[in-house]
Amino acid sequence: MAATEPADIEAMLARVLLPLCVAAGAIVLSGFFFPTFVGDVVTGPAWLTLALVFFVSGLGYIALLPYDVEKFETDTKQPAAMLRIRQTGLSGTVRTFIKKQELPTFALPLGVLAAYILFQLVWPSSTEAAVSAAADSMLVATRPMFVFVVLLSVAFCLFVLIGPWGDIKLGGPDTEPAYTYPMYFTLIFTAGIAAGVVFWGPAEALFHYAEPPPYFGVEPQSEAALTPALVYSLFHWGISAWSAYAVIGVPIAYYVFTHDAPLRVSTLLAPVLGVDNLDSAWSTLVDTLAVFVIIAGISTSTALVSEQFLTGIDFQWNVASGTFGPALFVVGLTAIVVISAATGMHRGIRRLATLNIGLFALFALVIAAVGPWGFISRQAPAAVTGYAVEFVPMSVHFGGEWVAEWTVWNYSWWFSWAPFAGLFIAALSKGRRIRTVVFTSVFATSAATLVWFLLLGGSALFVQHSGQQDILGTMAGQNGSEAVAGFPVFASLPLGDLLVFVFLALIIVFMATSADTSTLVVATLATKRTYAPSTGHIVFWGVFQGAVAVSVFMLGGAETLQVLAVLTGAPFAVLAVIAMVGVMRTWYRTERGHRSLLWRVRDRLPAIQMHHDIDPPDDKEP
Amino acid sequence: MSANTPRVSRKEDDVRQSVVDAVFYPADRIPFVEWSELSGAKPAVVLVGAVTVLSFVTGLSNLSRADPALDGPLTAFIAIPPSAIQFGGVLAAFVLGLVTVGLHRRKRLAWSVGVVVLPSVILLPLTTAQATDIPLLLLTTFTVPLLVRNRSRFDRTIDLSSLQIASLVAIFGVLLYGTVGSYGLRDQFVELDTWTDAVYYVLVTIATVGYGDITPVSAEARWFSLSIIVFGTGAFTVAIGALIGPAIESRMAKAFGVMTASDLTLLEDHIVVLGHGDITEPLLDELGEQAEIVVVTPDQSKISSLQDDDGDLNLLTGDPSDESVLRDAGVEAARGVVVSSNDDARDVLAVIATKNVNPDVRTVAAATEQKYVEKFRSVGVDAVLNPRSIGGRLLSQSILDGSDPETLLRSADGEDDESS
Repeated sequence: MAATEPADIEAMLARVLLPLCVAAGAIVLSGFFFPTFVGDVVTGPAWLTLALVFFVSGLGYIALLPYDVEKFETDTKQPAAMLRIRQTGLSGTVRTFIKKQELPTFALPLGVLAAYILFQLVWPSSTEAAVSAAADSMLVATRPMFVFVVLLSVAFCLFVLIGPWGDIKLGGPDTEPAYTYPMYFTLIFTAGIAAGVVFWGPAEALFHYAEPPPYFGVEPQSEAALTPALVYSLFHWGISAWSAYAVIGVPIAYYVFTHDAPLRVSTLLAPVLGVDNLDSAWSTLVDTLAVFVIIAGISTSTALVSEQFLTGIDFQWNVASGTFGPALFVVGLTAIVVISAATGMHRGIRRLATLNIGLFALFALVIAAVGPWGFISRQAPAAVTGYAVEFVPMSVHFGGEWVAEWTVWNYSWWFSWAPFAGLFIAALSKGRRIRTVVFTSVFATSAATLVWFLLLGGSALFVQHSGQQDILGTMAGQNGSEAVAGFPVFASLPLGDLLVFVFLALIIVFMATSADTSTLVVATLATKRTYAPSTGHIVFWGVFQGAVAVSVFMLGGAETLQVLAVLTGAPFAVLAVIAMVGVMRTWYRTERGHRSLLWRVRDRLPAIQMHHDIDPPDDKEP
Repeated sequence: MSANTPRVSRKEDDVRQSVVDAVFYPADRIPFVEWSELSGAKPAVVLVGAVTVLSFVTGLSNLSRADPALDGPLTAFIAIPPSAIQFGGVLAAFVLGLVTVGLHRRKRLAWSVGVVVLPSVILLPLTTAQATDIPLLLLTTFTVPLLVRNRSRFDRTIDLSSLQIASLVAIFGVLLYGTVGSYGLRDQFVELDTWTDAVYYVLVTIATVGYGDITPVSAEARWFSLSIIVFGTGAFTVAIGALIGPAIESRMAKAFGVMTASDLTLLEDHIVVLGHGDITEPLLDELGEQAEIVVVTPDQSKISSLQDDDGDLNLLTGDPSDESVLRDAGVEAARGVVVSSNDDARDVLAVIATKNVNPDVRTVAAATEQKYVEKFRSVGVDAVLNPRSIGGRLLSQSILDGSDPETLLRSADGEDDESS
């Protein structure tokens, strides 16, 4: 806490947030415990507002703790920050703010997004038509490319995991990792995956059950369609998806921590341009594109998640939120994100990530405890085996409209998030071996999503297939929205109320943990290389993301902007190939003498069988 | 590897690395909570208190429902009556409330009862399996291990006086006698048919409520009832007096500035000031808010004047050279002991007593006369000074080199105190 002003503001915020959180929490909890008394007094929209206030103030307070109480007590007269703005004037403050920004990276995405919103405002229908036409042709045209790149990425990850270069320690052999392994996994997992996993958990398998993938060619909604539906959910959220992050993250991490390259997306170009020429126009172009795609991706996700959240609430409790409800929701979410990002890695981001993984585990545990265990335990081994056996054929299968709509769209979507998630993975990996980075960001995270999809998708399939609830009919009644898929499933399980409660909390926290890291990453990217982003920069980008989300929401066009963001995934897929080939070449030339995983395993074996009296224990330790 | 890559400037690389470090590896780690502080006895007591409140709220929530839900996995194995589920949470909360108070006083008995009652609270959510019961389940599963972990901290026995023991035994005896007896004579009572009726009748009679729905009709039953009234009501009254009287006494004593031992059991890392002398008041001012302080002095008038000056002080009337008084003042868990009355001989005795109770505690003393300084050292005082000789030295220095005695003191304090 070197600067005094943020500390003052923090203390002020914390003083406001705590009573808010306690008051709203008391009412929400009393409604939870005594639904018959309190439920009648408070109306639906009021509940929504109260719950939102509870979440925002609670999460914000967690991020702020511990603020400097004594400091605030001794100096209560004037927050110094306000004083400084008054003294130096607004223009002076803005000038110092701009001075530290990388101008093209800062201004271009801002301009493009403003232009998009303007177009959407003036010619909404033609903008949408143009973008969706472009999207359709792009998805078909880039289909072979994506299929190839993703397969290559998975192969790359497997090779790094097993091969000798996985042994390279980022930052030199003496560097110790700053984050514990569970924390490292938690940060990567919660940042890399947004609220989509919560909605699609129950929904994705149902969609594939209703309309089976052509690869399997089974009868829709039949007994035979159950396993393929699960297999394809695992396929879309498994190793292929997560490897998109790793192939961006690993090269960046390698060049940053062993060749002192700057921590930017353009470092992907290091094998082509050389580490010392990374301030060329090409790098600026890549960084600018990255900032654009991150902001567009995160804000549209925020907007869409808010919409889905409120659709779910409307469906479940019949609470129409009107026009301003979603805007209010986005504002609340933005408040959490800004506080979390501004308080930094050790406070906001780390704590919210821990909370997130805790809720995630709690939810999965409850589902595992009360879910249709017999059905899931029958389907899960079949689905996992199917996933393993059919992985390569599914990966190279690109026939038909279906694959373009689902698989390629999905690949493109993950690649559009890769600049931010990959950069974040790279930033955290100092002191880790590359093998650990790949294992964590691809295989461990995939394992977590696989369990999630088996549990939730399995439960949804069971409820639908056994005829307990017609979830597909319910979704069709809501314009095919995946947002409502969870609620009928939970209603048919024991502890349904609790599940719904945690489900809604998970949506907010998952979105917040992705958006806060993205804010930090964007702020780093847009700031000049020699400066660390100040709190002002972080707050600016957080607020900007929120503003874009609100405006696409109010004007419509969230989906169109999402299409635009997803389309930007294609250039990054190309960049990923360049980086993969380049980093392999660098490793081949400069990194000799590392040992592959197989060698390490072989080394271990005789050591166990050896007797101590033959082989003195002193010799084992170098 | 580094030899292969020529660098433009070493300095720029450093700047880049420091940017990465500034954003993603901040140097000052700010822990959310200190885990070591969360695993001690105090958090265990707080958690039991939280379980109590939550159990009460959950119980009320169950009561507010028309009929209790029985969806839990336990219902398949145990037949729990619905009324037990409806009232279980609230009743458990009352027991747990007492347990919390006992744990707060570090009582062994409260720990034993708590370890039995807390797991039984889990039965409730496992039976009903309602969403509202799950927080109770989660909180309790965290609390029990913490309580078990800290078992050694709850080691105080309940010191009941012989009167208290006698009255408790008497109540128990009369209850047993009354219940068995009235059930045996149930033919000679109106509306007394079951064991429940018998217990009900005895309690209503002893508590002098006497609803009158169950009445004795034969002479034998009436004699029996009279005996319950005489012995039971008597025991009941005596027990209330014996159990609640000491608490009231302690309250009154506190109002007069005398702490009882139980008020001081919770002190930890505090400073004990033994004796009251000329330097006590400035000492207390200087210590101020920085630590909790217990002042021990035999002088009742000093105690009451301190009580008037500063309500936050813990005051204990007693002889500072008496080991049992020092134990009451918590010298065993204290951060340090200051010995500073005007009587050096008594102070030396107080130091010896302190070292008997806790040989490791830091002890500092003020000697009234210079010749006693060495004697304080020889009984094991960590630091001793004579205020008068220091005053004299400071004054002489001031007159010789023109310096201000206050600044001399300030520089003796060192750098860390410059803010004050």
